[in-house]
Amino acid sequence: MRRAFVIVSAVLLAAFALQFVFAAVGAFTKPAGDGAYALHSITGMVVIPLLSLLTMVCAALARAPGRVVAQSVLPLGLVLLQALIAVLANAFTDASGASTALSLTIGALHAVNGIIAVHVVVGVLQAAEKLAAGRPAENPAVEKSPA
Amino acid sequence: MTTGSVLALDLVVAVLAAAGWLGGGAAAATGRRRLALGVGAAALLATLARAATTIALARAGWWFAAEKVIIAAPLSLAAVLVAGPRLVRPPADIRPAAVALLFAGYAHTAALLVTVLHGYPVSAGAALLAVAGVAAATAVTWRFLGARPSRTVARAAVVVSLAALVTGTGLAVTTGAAPGVPHAHGHRDEPTVGAPTKRFTLTAASAVVTANGRDVAAWAFNGQVPGPQLTATVGDVLEVTLRNQDIDRGVTLHWHGYDVPNSQDGVPGVTQAAVLPGQEFVYRFHADQAGTYWYHTHAASDLGVRMGLHGVLVVHPGPVTGVDVTVPVHALAGHPLPAPSVAQVRAGEPVRLRLINTDSTTHRYALAGASFRVVAIDGADLRDPPPLADTAVLIPAGGRYDLAFSAPATPVALSVDGRAVWSTGPVTAVTSGWPVLDPLGYGAATPAPWSRFDQELTLVLDRGLDLRGLLPRYAHTVNGAADPDIPPQVVRHGAVVKLRIVNRSLVVHPWHLHGHHVLVLSRDGTPSTGSPLWLDSFDVRPGEVWEVAFHADNPGMWANHCHNLPHADAGMTLHLMYA
Repeated sequence: MRRAFVIVSAVLLAAFALQFVFAAVGAFTKPAGDGAYALHSITGMVVIPLLSLLTMVCAALARAPGRVVAQSVLPLGLVLLQALIAVLANAFTDASGASTALSLTIGALHAVNGIIAVHVVVGVLQAAEKLAAGRPAENPAVEKSPA
Repeated sequence: MTTGSVLALDLVVAVLAAAGWLGGGAAAATGRRRLALGVGAAALLATLARAATTIALARAGWWFAAEKVIIAAPLSLAAVLVAGPRLVRPPADIRPAAVALLFAGYAHTAALLVTVLHGYPVSAGAALLAVAGVAAATAVTWRFLGARPSRTVARAAVVVSLAALVTGTGLAVTTGAAPGVPHAHGHRDEPTVGAPTKRFTLTAASAVVTANGRDVAAWAFNGQVPGPQLTATVGDVLEVTLRNQDIDRGVTLHWHGYDVPNSQDGVPGVTQAAVLPGQEFVYRFHADQAGTYWYHTHAASDLGVRMGLHGVLVVHPGPVTGVDVTVPVHALAGHPLPAPSVAQVRAGEPVRLRLINTDSTTHRYALAGASFRVVAIDGADLRDPPPLADTAVLIPAGGRYDLAFSAPATPVALSVDGRAVWSTGPVTAVTSGWPVLDPLGYGAATPAPWSRFDQELTLVLDRGLDLRGLLPRYAHTVNGAADPDIPPQVVRHGAVVKLRIVNRSLVVHPWHLHGHHVLVLSRDGTPSTGSPLWLDSFDVRPGEVWEVAFHADNPGMWANHCHNLPHADAGMTLHLMYA
């Protein structure tokens, strides 16, 4: 199961890397339109959430320390947040659908959140590898909380 | 603050509350006392803020707040009751408080997901699934954080989450089984319209056309985008032969805004079969309404219209006097149409600009250099429209505005979203800061044609998870369902129907009912005070509630949909049928 945890989190990281590629594909597709970001949307709304969920389940089944399990839950939360940011950025456009300072500011958070999510996934992958190598993750604080 | 902004703000504070409680819980679990208390306090503030946005939304209309009051508020209350005391009287070692804070986080996350995934109408299924999720996540957390719950509590949690999960899933799967749209192919009282006086042939084919100086692959009627302009005079009988040369997805002709008999309406699968390559279909109808209209394919309508299968239909009340220009605006493969044109107009000559938005989003039009009147909207004349100057108009997807003015000696210029499209010479005015005309207060009022309504229908527009198809999708929904699972609304022939359209979503929905013009009664409870507005395409912005009325005098099965065609494709289409 520890092996599976490593593999799934590595695949998740790869999906995130691809997601940046698809964002660039969308940005450079001509003519620009809603369809330009189709790959990015499908990866972001279906593939990555499913892989995040799978990572979480693998972490739990691999009997990873609580801290690592908690860390493996984070990508799913950040991915949901990512979709919400995209929706909100579109919600703050003006009456004719053109972007405003506020909508662009919120849109920019989409990139920031994406970078954070990648860092978290890298952390999860490292923890999974440690676990597979038989070294227990550091920080036992979560492990033995006083009852 | 508009209800639309409150809807967006509500979502922001809901995200902050959920993130705050989860973050506080994580901090507590790692023993960071001050961080946990700080973030927890922020989460409590966000929770209070969501109570405020919920109250504001409930005052704007129950549709906006129902699930927030019935599902989110109890979850929130439970969260605050459990986690609040831990923040007010924090133990020296914060770690035991982690489960309570995380429980609050799960409760707020579940509440947020209900709003985002299936907010309206409030469903017991969604509520039970939310409870199941919270109970399960809390039980797992409890187990992992080591502070084992007693056997009874653990068992109770398992039982509650299982029961809620099973019932919730059961309710979510079984409620409102797809009614399906009865296809009205047979229902055909073929109208007798007499011998045609105007004949046109439109042949749909893939073509390469020039847009903005580039060669663009398009789908075109008679090799041009937009297709040929069809012009008629009131009293004509139009006969339009549609041929499909090679459009595999099929083609039809829908007469947008023209209230033709149902059999001529051009909705594939409802009023006719799509015309496939090699086939043809003949449309015949009376030109009995003067005004500016357009035609477009309704087969694969998003793609088809975007690729160019549309054109202008103008019906004149009599002989044309003065300059009469149609300006159909369209983005073809990202290139804006029409190409800018410069006209020679003598001073004093009457000019009528027929502005048509054939795209899926709103456009902003500005006429600089002359005072003008908006003489008609969606083909229907306005009553006593006063002159306007330095004022822009917003035309919804599918909508038409006719502007009229007497040509001044100096140049005038019409721009769309800041791009010049038609002018009589160079004009340097900056139009971006101009105020926008609100048609609900423009022109002279007349007494309402109806004093009472026989029927009332409500459409609540939103987004939601649609699990009925092969693949789950995040659909644009009407009353909580997505096409083809939205039950048709039924009206009685001859009834005066009040139609209420509520936009719970965060995007504008240009609403379009086929076969009828609707009279605008009110927007957000404020009655329309200007000229009677008989519209066929109107923007319902986020948080807005429109009340319109129509006379059910055109029997048949009519499409009733969002004219942002990607939205229509993603579920926002239903049908109006006659009993």
